[in-house]
Amino acid sequence: MDPSEVEFLAEKEIVKIIPNFSLDKIYLIGGDLGPFNPGLQVDVPVWLALNLKQRQKCRIVPPEWMDVDKLEEMRDLERREDAFTPVPSPYYMELTKLLLNYASDNIPKADEIRTLVKDIWDTRIAKLRLSADSFISQMEAHAKLDNLTLMEINTIRSFLLDSLNCMYKLRSNLQPGSSKGQLTDY
Amino acid sequence: MFCEKSIELIRELHRMSDGQLPAFNEDGLRQVLQEMEALYEQNQTDVNAAKAEGRADLIPSIKLRHCCLLRNQRCITAYLYDRLLRIRALRWEYGSVLPPNVRFHMCAEEVQWFGNYKKSLASFMRSLGGGEGLDITQDMKPPKSLYIEVRCLKDHGEFEIDDGTVILLKKNSQHFLPRWKCEQLIRQGVLEHVMS
Amino acid sequence: MSDALSEDGSDINQDDSREEDVMTPVELIAKLEEAWLNEKFSPELLENKSEVVECVMEQLTHMEANLQRVKKGDAKASIHRMEIDRIRFVLSSYLRSRLQKIEKFFPHVLEKEKSRREGDTSLLSPEEFAFAKEYYTNTESYLKAVALKRMPPNLQTVDMLKAVPEPCLDSFVFLRVKERQENILVEPETDDQREYVVDLDEDSQHLMRYRTIAPFVSSGAVQLI
Repeated sequence: MDPSEVEFLAEKEIVKIIPNFSLDKIYLIGGDLGPFNPGLQVDVPVWLALNLKQRQKCRIVPPEWMDVDKLEEMRDLERREDAFTPVPSPYYMELTKLLLNYASDNIPKADEIRTLVKDIWDTRIAKLRLSADSFISQMEAHAKLDNLTLMEINTIRSFLLDSLNCMYKLRSNLQPGSSKGQLTDY
Repeated sequence: MFCEKSIELIRELHRMSDGQLPAFNEDGLRQVLQEMEALYEQNQTDVNAAKAEGRADLIPSIKLRHCCLLRNQRCITAYLYDRLLRIRALRWEYGSVLPPNVRFHMCAEEVQWFGNYKKSLASFMRSLGGGEGLDITQDMKPPKSLYIEVRCLKDHGEFEIDDGTVILLKKNSQHFLPRWKCEQLIRQGVLEHVMS
Repeated sequence: MSDALSEDGSDINQDDSREEDVMTPVELIAKLEEAWLNEKFSPELLENKSEVVECVMEQLTHMEANLQRVKKGDAKASIHRMEIDRIRFVLSSYLRSRLQKIEKFFPHVLEKEKSRREGDTSLLSPEEFAFAKEYYTNTESYLKAVALKRMPPNLQTVDMLKAVPEPCLDSFVFLRVKERQENILVEPETDDQREYVVDLDEDSQHLMRYRTIAPFVSSGAVQLI
């Protein structure tokens, strides 16, 4: 999956904004939004929040977890535990990137948040590499992957799945009568 | 050695990176077909001799030649099929009109295959959604609801954006516009994306 | 603000009873997104979801028609357009994934369709079926014209089912469980391992072979991710 597609899915997440305009309720195909009143918090999908923000029509309220103290706690826990700890949002990485890129003036201590989220991500990706390595070397047939996010899975998807398929082919080709797919298999 | 020519065809494609289409190797194909003809004729002679004169000693060489024939057939179809996949990918990349340098590398039958493929794809897209039609060769990337900074490369006149605002696209003027409205103008060379 | 956009289209099947359970547009879009991800990640072609495709296209056309009637400068219109673009992307990408698999596995897809029993849901939509048949004929006659007919008499045909690779159902996939499943048998990878069973709890995520969980993808009990 292309990372831009994961980001696309992340943009469906809901954030709070404070608009500076008024507008009636909007009936979108995917659900109702608004009404919008100046100064009053309202829930919108991230794609709309970013668009309004770029046109200077709103202020984005950072999600609760996008907070230095909370993230420091999460980072420490992530480093202490061997397993993957629960993440604050299934799209924590993409949301951090999007909100910090387009609305950093609405997010207190943006730089510290960027670093903390990066630290959490790095710790988790390191764990993921280790688990992938042991999955392959132990020739496991099943793994439980709770708390992993789509973007994290996506970083190892093609590498891991291709390797597993390759190993499977090598193993099953040892048995006679399994030659299939001649046109593309020179 | 038998089958060297056909392996050379495969190697030729293998050396090219995925998106590229080398010139159709009619000469290579003919040479493989000639080798196949020769192998087949020799086998016919030997099969007749084996039958008529009971020459069982000929059977191993008959088998060997037959394996070579099968291998040649397999390599040629793989060569041709892989080229079709490359040509198909070009349809999705360039649209229904291929650049001349690509067409130049295709054989007549490939041009015909491509024409049929285009037709099938077009009628498929027309019949989507109970006949309403949807061009699925568009929208290849997720849309971005974002605005981008663009510079005007030539005078284009008035341009209306979705919220009804009309702006004047004058040479060298800079604008902050919805990305989805600019993409076509960028492709046409009217606007240029200013990277910050 | 024109009235056109204030219409609440919350019940898309108001006037026709094609579907037994009435789907709201919100559910419809959710269904489309599920189908999109499942199709993207499943090694084989899944059952077609023509009715979802048709309903989504109806929604888009309806919304676009309404937008035509909207006054210039309407602030809502651009928001609606952005949403339309997003939905159209998912729809096109979904149909593209299917078409790619149809092209990749065309002899097998057609074979499966042929052996389908009366009453089973068809794998291909009518337009996909037409496309697959044309693709088969086109490719077969191409191979014949350019090379096979110039080969010795006993080598002038190729068995497409053997020549074109089959989908590898033994591929591993990532999945999230939507409805709990018990006692799923996990086959051993090597001779010195034993098979064992796992329970798939709701909302848990797993990495395992597609073949094991394929029935739950079609039933909607698991979502590929």
